[in-house]
Amino acid sequence: MQTKKLTVLALYATLSLAVYAVESALPPPAPIPGLKLGLANIITLILLRRYTCRDAALVLTARILLSALLFGQAMSLLYSLAGGILSLLFMYSADRLLRKKYLLLTGAVGGLAHNIGQLSLALAVTATPGVLAYLPFLLPGGIVTGLFTGLCARLADKYLPRKHA
Amino acid sequence: MRTCSEKNTRTAALAIAVLLVLITASCLLYLLLTDRRQGACTAEIYQNGRLIRVIPLDQVQKAYSFDVVGQGGCINRIEVRPGKIGVIWADCPDRLCVEQGFAESPVIPITCLPNRLVIRLKVEDALPADTAVPDAVTY
Repeated sequence: MQTKKLTVLALYATLSLAVYAVESALPPPAPIPGLKLGLANIITLILLRRYTCRDAALVLTARILLSALLFGQAMSLLYSLAGGILSLLFMYSADRLLRKKYLLLTGAVGGLAHNIGQLSLALAVTATPGVLAYLPFLLPGGIVTGLFTGLCARLADKYLPRKHA
Repeated sequence: MRTCSEKNTRTAALAIAVLLVLITASCLLYLLLTDRRQGACTAEIYQNGRLIRVIPLDQVQKAYSFDVVGQGGCINRIEVRPGKIGVIWADCPDRLCVEQGFAESPVIPITCLPNRLVIRLKVEDALPADTAVPDAVTY
């Protein structure tokens, strides 16, 4: 990997870690496990648009590992990975299908996939089908928060300089 | 050629948007139509998927609390009040289980993911008064 690209990707990883830290200081939008704004997804969306899926995956993994190390615990690492990886796969597919045009929709697909991934893991970990009761809250929640991060990503993409991209 | 691919992209976008709207609408519809019967609720406490305690909430006269100790010594302090149940203290990092407050209906269970604890409420099927259970059955 070129030194320049490595540096830029490291900067993005720092940015997403900072956004994650800010978000974890905010109260959760609703007392439902798994429902959150997912602001760090803004960075993943920008990376998907400007770089490759591989780069986005690298930054995402770095952010998840670092955030678990700095703020979290082993369990939250697993949940973040399950949600993050599924969300990245879905966003990549949606972004290709939409030819990188509708960032809002890509974000919504990502939010939805993230919550599906986390709930699937919660189902596997707790082995209690009762957690599926959160599904009707988490699916629309993921779509709405995904639309919001998509909107943020679209605005940020507009104003972030492309000189170093 | 270009307009054709642009049209395809727009069709894909429309399809995704419709799918997302359908998912949202069906979830909201489900929540609206879901069974909201109020009545005698039984709380089921699961840990690691195993049912560890069943509490008929309508039979609770006085509030009391107890600790559920999980793997690695993690603790959730559960309080039972007449007709409701909730987690009042926990050693998990996010305390979302405490913030979920007290559950009175089966709509949302209380979950503590770090401690793998789920509290589910079930409404007992109350029999109408005229079809009450017989006092005795003779053969």
